[in-house]
Amino acid sequence: MTSDVAAFAAIGMVAAITFASRMAGTILMSRIEVSPRIERFLDALSVSVIAALVASIVAQNGPREGVAVVVAATVMLGSRSAVWAMIGGMAFAAAWTLMTSA
Amino acid sequence: MLTWKGVQRGGRRLSPIAVFTIPFGVAFGVAAIESGMTSIQAILTSLLAFSGAAQFAMLDFWHTPLAFGSLAMVVLALNARHIIMGAALSPWINRLPPSRRILSLSYLSDPNFADSQPAFQNGERDIGLLLGGGLVLWMCWATGTAIGALGGEVIGDPASFGIDVVMPCFFAAVVAGKLDGVKALAPILVASTVAVALLNIVPTGWNVVLAALAGGCVGTFSHDK
Repeated sequence: MTSDVAAFAAIGMVAAITFASRMAGTILMSRIEVSPRIERFLDALSVSVIAALVASIVAQNGPREGVAVVVAATVMLGSRSAVWAMIGGMAFAAAWTLMTSA
Repeated sequence: MLTWKGVQRGGRRLSPIAVFTIPFGVAFGVAAIESGMTSIQAILTSLLAFSGAAQFAMLDFWHTPLAFGSLAMVVLALNARHIIMGAALSPWINRLPPSRRILSLSYLSDPNFADSQPAFQNGERDIGLLLGGGLVLWMCWATGTAIGALGGEVIGDPASFGIDVVMPCFFAAVVAGKLDGVKALAPILVASTVAVALLNIVPTGWNVVLAALAGGCVGTFSHDK
């Protein structure tokens, strides 16, 4: 990077876009009256955005990540603890790496 | 409402997850220096534009002359899901006065959204939970960046400890925690399918946004029947 000014301008621009993306959703919704139906939409939207993230990550990686995610979801259903779910998934992924690299 | 107590509670809830962002922050710091950023620029990026994937994507554009337009499009795509998350939180956030809305959303990211939204759904009213979780994530991420940028080396491979799967596993747990019957499965299945199907068709990031909207519609209509 030769020009420092351009670099700092780029960081400023990225910061501004990131900030705007964080604010945009609530500003958009402040113009809409929240009916029970919109509330259901927003709730389905919440679980969907997280599910879509998981699906994208798994699709971009592979079976190791795929099974780790299934392990985590299963532990969650059994224990109702997200921390244990995370530890379960991590332990599985670490074991997988250990087995396949040996 | 938004209280300091809530902020502390949010911070505590997310710290077991936030510590695992440190190695990724270190990786960003190292990658930023390799891409030609100065250490000040790398740390500033993490402090001001805290956004994981978008920050890594930014490094792909770190050449002279800077392609501002393309950089803006990629960052927008990778951050567009914030708009969805903000909309989903709006029933609670929009009750706050404007300055507090801005404050509580400034550190919005995937993990604190995934943690707070179900809590608000279950009757929690302190938005501090969201802010506190975000602050802890932001501090860990920026600390990691500083370590990486100021001469750190990437220590070991996060994959060998399973650290790389922490976020997807946490998110999968949140999704599983929201399962309260067969009907709840429909939006999850639709969103996952759409996200994967569009992965190579639309720019990365937009697939998640479109998938979330599809899942949201399915959830609304399957309930109406």
